[in-house]
Amino acid sequence: MDALSIYVARASGLHHLNPITKFVLTLCLMICGLVLPGTWSSYLILLAIIVPLAIWGKVLSRLAKLVFNISLPLIVSVFIIQTLFWGKGTPLFEVGPFAPKLEGFLFSITSAGRILFIMADFILFSLTTRPDMLMISLKQAGLPAGLAYIIVTTLQLVPRFVAKANTILDAQRSRGLETQGNLYVRAKALLPLILPLVIGSLLEVEERAIAIEARGFSSKKVETSLIEIPDSKNQKKARVFFILSTILLIATRLIWLS
Amino acid sequence: MLENIKKEFSTRTLVLIPIAIAINIAIGQLVIVLKLPIYLDSIGTVLVGALVGPWAGAATGGLASLLWGVIPPPLQYAYAIPFFYVAMVIGLMAGYFGKRGVFEKESPRWLSVLIGAVFFFTLTFFITAFLNRSTDETGYTTYPAPGALFSQYAVFFVITIVVGAAIGYYLLQKGGYAGLAGLVTGAVAAIISAPTAAIVFGGVTGSGTDLLVAAFRSSGAPIMASVMAQGSVSDPFDKMLSFMVVWLILGSLPARFKAR
Repeated sequence: MDALSIYVARASGLHHLNPITKFVLTLCLMICGLVLPGTWSSYLILLAIIVPLAIWGKVLSRLAKLVFNISLPLIVSVFIIQTLFWGKGTPLFEVGPFAPKLEGFLFSITSAGRILFIMADFILFSLTTRPDMLMISLKQAGLPAGLAYIIVTTLQLVPRFVAKANTILDAQRSRGLETQGNLYVRAKALLPLILPLVIGSLLEVEERAIAIEARGFSSKKVETSLIEIPDSKNQKKARVFFILSTILLIATRLIWLS
Repeated sequence: MLENIKKEFSTRTLVLIPIAIAINIAIGQLVIVLKLPIYLDSIGTVLVGALVGPWAGAATGGLASLLWGVIPPPLQYAYAIPFFYVAMVIGLMAGYFGKRGVFEKESPRWLSVLIGAVFFFTLTFFITAFLNRSTDETGYTTYPAPGALFSQYAVFFVITIVVGAAIGYYLLQKGGYAGLAGLVTGAVAAIISAPTAAIVFGGVTGSGTDLLVAAFRSSGAPIMASVMAQGSVSDPFDKMLSFMVVWLILGSLPARFKAR
């Protein structure tokens, strides 16, 4: 499981919810956060909804660490560029050629909030949902088998391909390929790395296609699963409620704008 | 139409798509290791478009962006999620150009020279016009007349045309059609991705191209315009290279594979 996902096993109510309920909630939260106006609405969603959910799921410290690591470079970048290079505006103070602008600072706070809550939203979902459970429940809810195959296979292939790319990098380096130096030297190294990776993997397509065909991939029969995914009437109601409130929010915002 | 779409998604295509997505991400990582100022994270998408068709290309692009956001860190890149529609358009356009045969035909070298020169000329024209525009009190923006720009930056324009022609000759070589298709796709991608980049992320990506945004912002341009200007500088170049790489790959694949 380690290589494939960041899932953390905990005995919590959030972990035991049906994966689709969490999936719907994650998407609805992202849309609502982007639709809501104002500087502080993203922070409100983060603190009032995502943080309590994370406490319920017992993953708050892990979530905070991951969100911090991933969004820090983006947020630093937003503040530097939008505050220092805002163009016309009210200067906060002046240091040499730099005059940070108040408008840019407020804009950066809004952007940082959006970055933080979107990252936290999706990372909380992956922390509390096993990918295989999500796939099984999506399949049972009527997701086409082809799409399910693509998602599961991609999640397994990506770490393998990155490892393969590093192997090719080491192999070509040991044969004398320059991968450090000026821009021209580094750009020249690109093709000898890309071509073996892509052509080697394309030749796998044939084998894989035959392998899954032999296991009845294109059969039209409904699959059965060994694992039962818990679902309840209340969760179904909750999903409908999430979707309806999101639609309502978008509608209100559209009317309010016009 | 529906029949055509169905025909594109054979078992072979369904097997190809995850591999293409993994290629996107693995090459994106390689570019980071080599510290190159480009992304090259849509080679797999373009490849599926070229090999199978527009709908498969669009599916690859969209799924690649969405899945890139849910794979475990350090490979995770949630930033790609809101841009999934851009990746879909890139796949769609690659498939369309693939049907027109841009990945198979060889262009004469003079055409590559012409494409390089015209592209660099247009790019310089846009950047100089953008940096020299003036806004009056009512907020109405006027751009300088082309003639005035040409005389002001005459030497600069000549240099960019020569550099562009040289790049066309040595880099595009006989892949002029693929390169041109990449430039067009990149321009479209820059325009349609700007709103998301500006509204959702405040115009930054956390990568080297942020410096360009900063340069345009300090010239007094609004966020959306700066992001679009940054995109139109880096995206066409990036997609041109991606299309060129796919052209090279298709040239070195066994004919048996392409026939399917």
